[in-house]
Amino acid sequence: MTRHLPVILFLLPLGLAICLPLIGIRRREWCRPLAIGVLAAMVPVSFANLAGVLQNGTIHYDFGGWAAPVGIEWVADGLASVMTVTLSLVGLVCITFLSSVLFPYLGSRIVPFYTLVLLLIASLTGMVFAGDLFNLFVFLEVSALCAYALVGLAGGKALVAGFRYLILGTFGASLYLLGVGYLYAETGTLNMADLAQRVPPLVGSKAIAVGVLFMFIGLGIKMALVPLHGWLPDAYTYAPDRVSPMLASLVTKVALYGWIRIMFWVLGAHAVVYQIPILFLVGVLGAVAALVGAFLALSQTEIKRMFAYGGLSHIGLVLVGISLGNQTGFVGGVFYLLNDAVMQAGLFFWAGAIIHLYGVRTIEDLVRLQGGAGWMSGALVVIALSMIGIPPTGGFFGKWYIILGAVEAQNYLAIVAVLIATLLTLAYFLKLFEKVFRDRSAQQPPLMREVPLAVRIALGATSVGVIVLGVMSDHIVSFLLKNALPPGL
Amino acid sequence: MFELIGGWLQRPNYVAFVLLFLWGIYIMVTRYNLVKKLIGMYLMQTSVIFFLVTTSAKRGATVPILLSTTEIIQPEAYANPLPHVLTLTAIVVGVATLGVSLALADAIYKKYGSLDEEEILKRME
Repeated sequence: MTRHLPVILFLLPLGLAICLPLIGIRRREWCRPLAIGVLAAMVPVSFANLAGVLQNGTIHYDFGGWAAPVGIEWVADGLASVMTVTLSLVGLVCITFLSSVLFPYLGSRIVPFYTLVLLLIASLTGMVFAGDLFNLFVFLEVSALCAYALVGLAGGKALVAGFRYLILGTFGASLYLLGVGYLYAETGTLNMADLAQRVPPLVGSKAIAVGVLFMFIGLGIKMALVPLHGWLPDAYTYAPDRVSPMLASLVTKVALYGWIRIMFWVLGAHAVVYQIPILFLVGVLGAVAALVGAFLALSQTEIKRMFAYGGLSHIGLVLVGISLGNQTGFVGGVFYLLNDAVMQAGLFFWAGAIIHLYGVRTIEDLVRLQGGAGWMSGALVVIALSMIGIPPTGGFFGKWYIILGAVEAQNYLAIVAVLIATLLTLAYFLKLFEKVFRDRSAQQPPLMREVPLAVRIALGATSVGVIVLGVMSDHIVSFLLKNALPPGL
Repeated sequence: MFELIGGWLQRPNYVAFVLLFLWGIYIMVTRYNLVKKLIGMYLMQTSVIFFLVTTSAKRGATVPILLSTTEIIQPEAYANPLPHVLTLTAIVVGVATLGVSLALADAIYKKYGSLDEEEILKRME
């Protein structure tokens, strides 16, 4: 039974996504409880899967009974299981938030809306488990298609932002597919475990080098690595407020997870292409992303856009962590990735809630909050502490392990990059705090007296989440060290 | 230099792939009309599919289907089916992407009354 849990985890949202249009014809009001129910069911299944993997080791699931190098394989190892636990928990909170009464009623569009959200969750689950480069491409594209449609749902400027996202995203996907084609032409296999055997002796060949480059540029566009991030700020700013938490916390993070998979499980941790260690290159890219993202966030006036740029800098921090080439750094990076999923969700919950509760879109308007509104300011403070990296929140421990890894690798530039990114993050949150707590110039009553229940749950869950991640960091990190390390690191 | 060009001319398919791919990107980057951008995008996707099919092409090969269980398997007599299967999936993905993109372009046209990117940006202000 535990063998089938990864597939069950995938089929739960996919099955409902297929049935929902049929159910929705007659019973439109069922969409919401059904979607929440399925996501809630995914949480225990993902935990059961994690427990099963811990007990019986990595699960290799062969589709159609064809064994691995020939058939399509799903691999549920420690890292993938931890990712799906995060995915289902964050997904559940996100779907609770997006069905809040806070947002305008969708009418007949509610059915396709929930279908897209469920399809997005299903495809992200597929990406996490995929043990095959082409399978990863297919799920990458399904998730991207859902994301384009969800961004465009808001109408107006979001349509143009979504269109731009689509053009760039498809360009990235084509490059990724081309890279997969190069690797297949050179090695004759698409299975990641099989590639890990065949690529290292060939790593000097031009086809492998160019193929890997194409794949990383493609995934880089999907996860908005800094020079390739052009689509992200507009897409996340103009996306409907109810879906931007889900997009920001899950879509880019799972693309980053795909990057980690290919880098460590296919190429191997210490691959050197044309005398350049890949990890060094990734470290430089990560440091640039961390600094540029935080710097751009500092200069924004719109809240959602500021958080979107903040997300870019955190992607960079994760890359810095994994590029250090030792276990501490890798685990720090992965732990920071989990934290970042929770923090990004929390920040965009907050941004979406204040837009609809107070009509606040820019930092200037934040004075209307007047420091009151306990839920809003409380959640902001907790999540901001984690974003900046102050104990006892998860963000601190993520950065702590990344810095420990950097000390171990004697990579002092990485430490400097992490510290400067931290300072810049502190600076842009101080800008927010200044307006929320200090400035008492304008008094204005909120549009809605009561903070709706779903928003409270979402903000509360993410705030508690970052603190729990911080308090439990010791256990999580030692767990990751034991179960989620790539071979050869 | 001549050897390099000579080598290219012996592989016209790959040259065609590179030209199509770059042409697609060129159209995507330089045209302001959204539908023309989509044409460029589709051209680029198709060129990747063309590349995948090219890698599996083999002169004088046949479909990899065994007609009887006693037939002797000769791998060199068959074309590699896997890139074709990848191609099939990639075509489906491409069609789905094109569908979503045309829907978005249509919605943009209904909202802003134009498909010209500069005109749309002007009206967005």
